[in-house]
Amino acid sequence: MSNRPVPLLVARDLVKAHGSTPALRGARLELAAGEIVAVTGASGSGKSTLLHCLAGIVRPDGGAVTYAGERVDALPERRLSELRRTDFGVVFQFGQLIPELTALDNVALPLMLAGTAREAAQERAAGWLERFGAGERPGLRPGELSGGQAQRVALARALVTGPRVVFADEPTGALDSLASEQVMTALVHTARETGAAVLVVTHDAQVAAYADREVRLQDGVTAGLEVCA
Amino acid sequence: MRTDLRLAWLLVRGSDRQEWWRIALTAVGAMCATGLGLAAAALASVRGSRSSAFGHGLLDHPGERSGVIVALLLLLVPVLGFLGQCTRIGAVHRDRRAAALRLAGAEPGRVRRITALETGLACLLGSVLATAVAVPVLPAEWPRPSVPAWAGTVLVAAGVPVLGTAAGLLALRRVVASPLGWVRRNRPRSGRGVGPAFLGALLVVVAATVLAVASTSTGTAGSDDASGPLVVFAAVLAVGVGAVWLTGTFSGLTGRLLAARTGTPAVLIAAERLRDDPWAAARAHAAVLLVTVVGTGFVGVRQVLLAELEEMRRRHELGTDIAFYTTGVNLTAVAIGLALVIVLTALAVGAAESLATRRRGLAAQVAAGVPRPVLGRALLLETALPLAPAVLVAGLGGLAIGIGYARTGPDGSAGWSVPYAALLVPAGVYAACLLAAAASLPLLRRSVRPGQLRYA
Amino acid sequence: MSTRHILLALLAKGPSHGYDLKRRHDDHFPQARPLAYGQVYTTLQRLVRDGLAEVAGTDADGGPERTLYRLTADGSREATDWAGQVTPPAPFVTNEIFAKVVVAILTGGDPAAHLLAQRAAHMDRMRELTALKTAPSAELGTVLAADYALNHLDADLRWMTTTQARLTTLTAVTVEVDRA
Repeated sequence: MSNRPVPLLVARDLVKAHGSTPALRGARLELAAGEIVAVTGASGSGKSTLLHCLAGIVRPDGGAVTYAGERVDALPERRLSELRRTDFGVVFQFGQLIPELTALDNVALPLMLAGTAREAAQERAAGWLERFGAGERPGLRPGELSGGQAQRVALARALVTGPRVVFADEPTGALDSLASEQVMTALVHTARETGAAVLVVTHDAQVAAYADREVRLQDGVTAGLEVCA
Repeated sequence: MRTDLRLAWLLVRGSDRQEWWRIALTAVGAMCATGLGLAAAALASVRGSRSSAFGHGLLDHPGERSGVIVALLLLLVPVLGFLGQCTRIGAVHRDRRAAALRLAGAEPGRVRRITALETGLACLLGSVLATAVAVPVLPAEWPRPSVPAWAGTVLVAAGVPVLGTAAGLLALRRVVASPLGWVRRNRPRSGRGVGPAFLGALLVVVAATVLAVASTSTGTAGSDDASGPLVVFAAVLAVGVGAVWLTGTFSGLTGRLLAARTGTPAVLIAAERLRDDPWAAARAHAAVLLVTVVGTGFVGVRQVLLAELEEMRRRHELGTDIAFYTTGVNLTAVAIGLALVIVLTALAVGAAESLATRRRGLAAQVAAGVPRPVLGRALLLETALPLAPAVLVAGLGGLAIGIGYARTGPDGSAGWSVPYAALLVPAGVYAACLLAAAASLPLLRRSVRPGQLRYA
Repeated sequence: MSTRHILLALLAKGPSHGYDLKRRHDDHFPQARPLAYGQVYTTLQRLVRDGLAEVAGTDADGGPERTLYRLTADGSREATDWAGQVTPPAPFVTNEIFAKVVVAILTGGDPAAHLLAQRAAHMDRMRELTALKTAPSAELGTVLAADYALNHLDADLRWMTTTQARLTTLTAVTVEVDRA
């Protein structure tokens, strides 16, 4: 416990309500560089909201989120967008791919947004698709991909910019167990190689077992078990 | 039927804001359509010459009256386009709901009736409002309205909701077939071309125009009078349809070419969306292009006409007050301006609808770090890219009409003078379209709130 | 399932020594409890006694003398029958975790705390197994075994989660049953 590295991302006493429904009621979490943490809990326990707060997608009503010494919850929207584009990668259950763009362009998009020329971006994107075993037909569009393929493309898109933290919200929620295994194996191995920290929200213990440790949420509060494995 | 009505009411009552917008806008559209139809029907029922307090004697003679009727019916075209856009609001949501009703065991016929009621009742509301205003006005302006005038009124007031219902049925014909039809990964493609419903409605308008003009023209000496407006009508339609076809083709082409080459994210997203569904742009812009043709042509014609009138007045050759002519010209200008406003509203509604349908995906993009301005620019480019060449062609077509008029005019000495002022019309229309599309940008800001991520 | 049937099945591939059988067992079922030599020999002797296996000879190339066993006709029928039989699905519900939770409820212990601790242990084991099966060098046997165990642990976990949520009602009901 004592030799644990300085945490990269820290959430303190987060409070957030959706309208009159409380989602978080004092959740805490620490994520060290390169660490893989699973957030589990029943549906409605505030898992996704916690991830949204940590990734700077949602501003908490109370508490603080600190990333590399910077208060994320106080950053202006422009800087948040930039952070999500450069330092963070995001994978959702579905919907993060633009339906009209090809798999290759979807992966190249974050690089293009950062100012990389189209061809260079596509070249790097192709490498990432290859790495996730989705490089065979880069010209297909999300609607033409199977669920597992689409999620691997989404992973490639989340990791292409070399983020320090990857946020995954039920990344295997719509997949069968084998496809889910492929996606999680790809995510964990790549994170280990690149040194990215991963925060994966899931209700599936088999997915949570890919992480180094588990943080359980119950009624918007992080319950025990926050012990390092 | 009572159960159907109750179900339809329950569905509407439990609906979100989008559904209320659709109903309100549909009612407004139906009101416009009924109003125009009523005015045209009333004028068409008039026989021979009579004097009216309106429009400096413009409505007194059969020849001019048929022109006014044509103008009124032409205004129906943008209104129909507007109604078409309205039925698309929340279309995906309503399709799913219809499929869910089928899954719950409703027969196809019942789902059709419920859906038809949803659209039909909104149209009925608009039609009733318009008729309620028109019925007291008609006898006040016109001491003893003829039987055909009343018959026409009833026909129009009843016809608008019936047509609206029919259009609603037509739009839903695919969903009703399969209870599982809408559990799918792909969005529905809009069909190629302008859509059978719109074309059908146009045919009705054309037929009505021919009838109306033919009937008013009886009782005048020369039946030649009628052919003039009809030729103009046909020319405008031809240019309009050409411009629509051009937009569709050009959208697809631009989309493919740009998508392959561009290095800008916003352009890439816009181009791929155009490639994906080029006819969506074409359909949305159809009415815009028609108005551009008419507007450009009109400005050209007006310039020549006013010059001629001025010339004739100086030579004291004018039979009547010059106000008789200028009122006609100005009323036409007002009608075209009105058409432009309707068309732009339809465009804004269409842009907002497209945003609302895609809001979850857009929210996910923003959550993943795509800056909102990039999405906003993509949205504007989606309108700007295909519209530019189409408006150009429509403008040139309109200009040609203006030049043609100047050549064939009684005063051939006008020669090849080009009414350059007319070119301001396509430029203005283009700018106005961009503004209309930009009007949906505040909605983008609201759509991409992370809260949207919570709903599938 | 018994060691007896597994040895019968392994013998079906051909005559083997006890030592060979033990090694093959450990290779094929890498995550199972390793067989003890003693257990292998006693089981083989019982098989011979029951007429399912017989001694096929001995050899002692330099080392200690080793007995070679092979299946009899009865033995190979028994092996095939066993392999083909549908396993009765959970005929008796007995499980240690289940029993301990019930005991904790009956004796006024803290079943919730017990479940929490058990959950942590389960997750640790699941992490171990996941690391094992996703290692690049993992063999098919390991992957299949890990999958099997992971799914069962997952089932345990889901039962524990449901039980935790149900605990209040469960306690109330049990107390009433005891009173009756």
